[in-house]
Amino acid sequence: MNGTMQKEPFRNNRVWFFAERTLVYALIAILLFVTLAPLIWVFSTSFKRNEESISFPPKFLPENITFDNYKFVLTDPGLVRSLINSFIVSIGSTTLSVAVSALGGYAFARFEFKAKNLIMSVILGLFMIPVVINIIPLYTMLSAAGMLNSSLALILTFQILIIPLNILLLKNYFETIPRDLEESALIDGCSRLGVLRRITIPLSMPGFAIAAVLAFRFSWNEFILPIVLANRPDSMVFQVALYQFISLYRIEWGYLTAGITLAIIPVLVLMLVFQKQMIRGLTLGAIRE
Amino acid sequence: MSNILAKAEPYLFLTPAFAILLIFLIFPLFWNIYISFHDVSFITILKNWEYGGWTNFVDLLNDPNFYTSLRTTVLFVAGSVALQFTIGMLMAVLLSQKVRAAGVLRAIFIIPWTISAVIAAFSFKFIFDYNFGILNYIFQQIGLQSVGWLSDPNIVIWSLVIANVWYGTPFTMLFITAGLLSINPSIYEAAVIDGATKFRSFLRITLPLLKPFIVINLILITMWSVNFFDLQLVMTGGGPLFASTTASLYMYRQAFEFGLLSKGAAAGLILIIINISVAFVYLKLLKR
Repeated sequence: MNGTMQKEPFRNNRVWFFAERTLVYALIAILLFVTLAPLIWVFSTSFKRNEESISFPPKFLPENITFDNYKFVLTDPGLVRSLINSFIVSIGSTTLSVAVSALGGYAFARFEFKAKNLIMSVILGLFMIPVVINIIPLYTMLSAAGMLNSSLALILTFQILIIPLNILLLKNYFETIPRDLEESALIDGCSRLGVLRRITIPLSMPGFAIAAVLAFRFSWNEFILPIVLANRPDSMVFQVALYQFISLYRIEWGYLTAGITLAIIPVLVLMLVFQKQMIRGLTLGAIRE
Repeated sequence: MSNILAKAEPYLFLTPAFAILLIFLIFPLFWNIYISFHDVSFITILKNWEYGGWTNFVDLLNDPNFYTSLRTTVLFVAGSVALQFTIGMLMAVLLSQKVRAAGVLRAIFIIPWTISAVIAAFSFKFIFDYNFGILNYIFQQIGLQSVGWLSDPNIVIWSLVIANVWYGTPFTMLFITAGLLSINPSIYEAAVIDGATKFRSFLRITLPLLKPFIVINLILITMWSVNFFDLQLVMTGGGPLFASTTASLYMYRQAFEFGLLSKGAAAGLILIIINISVAFVYLKLLKR
């Protein structure tokens, strides 16, 4: 704005500017409300007594805050069991997928080999295969192997949701680490696995963090594979146990909303902590296409 | 010897990942075909499977519920994709307008995508409840009739679309945000100097540069909407009757509700064909 600009259009611009800003913030406010309202409603209900949670007209805030719903969820043996199962399966599946994807991603980032491009496109293609289509064959396979209702079955089958994405993610991350560092170590007589362990992995920790958070999110939230492959009371995960609220009892919304709140917490905390890296990590693959 | 080893090394690194994908992702696709040509149900699963020829497909094509499920799928997918894309695009563009605390807002907008579909489903089941749901309460307050959000066969699919839009939109926002970030801002500076308005430079510059992102995003959200049935299963179980049973839920219900695994597998094959067609159509659009 250096004097050359005429006054009239300048004022006009300002009006426009304020109109545009108002519109932008108004739209954001609406979207914010729509995004959060359902969850706040659930959260608020989880502190109400059961009869209050289905009162009509609804009460927006609990009249007397009660923690009974949480106490119920956290002491009911079946639900506690399922929470433990969820942690076992999610941690197992996260560990396995990060380890396996790191090896695969490393191969793409550091080696030149014949079928490299072909294999890469196969992996991208696999990413597109909808996993739900596999539930019936997987059910018959695992049933024949006597593996239904085991944590191992879930840990192994969850991999197909995660590995293609994580290979891509870790490959991109490894490529940001300078080759020279590794090459000098190789010359010093370090083995490939030694280089991976001493140099590459420590330097790639942020990449591993993203891969692990994503893997955990997929594993913790997955519902269709567990409901098909592990739906016995002693083997079900928390998401399935929540679903059983429908058929076992009539829905107790107080308990259910408390369960929902508890189920949200682990992933939400992880996502918020790693928010910046997540967005970058998720979009890294896309940008490079 | 060491030469051979060096050549084999990358493949050794890839072996664990590929072994898992081969067994649990690729092989089942073919096994699904095998199942669909045999007679497999909860009763026969542990016995010898008899060859059934095309029986399962004939059953499928004679089942009026199957056609209903295809029609329901079209409605569910069209509604979900149109709204998710429009709103997700709007979110991404709004947040790129130099708003305050854009990072925090983005983090909040992502929240629905970080929770499980089961949780989204229950939350909306609660909100949509006919008797005590808050939505019907609001309707009554403003003088409207209560709506059978999940019990009216003509409305239920749109209620599910609403839940799916709430749940799935953040992905489009993320994806388009990535696209916007990939555009070099100096291009806009040039446009401003040329006197182009914001809206015009969005149409002329941003959209064309975003095209590959838009197409891939559309492929992904369309395929996900086709295959996704967590919401329907939890919110309505596919009901009332078959009114909210999309093709993927039809497959699940045949297999695990009625125990007809091979009929479900046949439906799964048709689902695969739908998926391939979707990807094919969009990729054609991308090349144009």
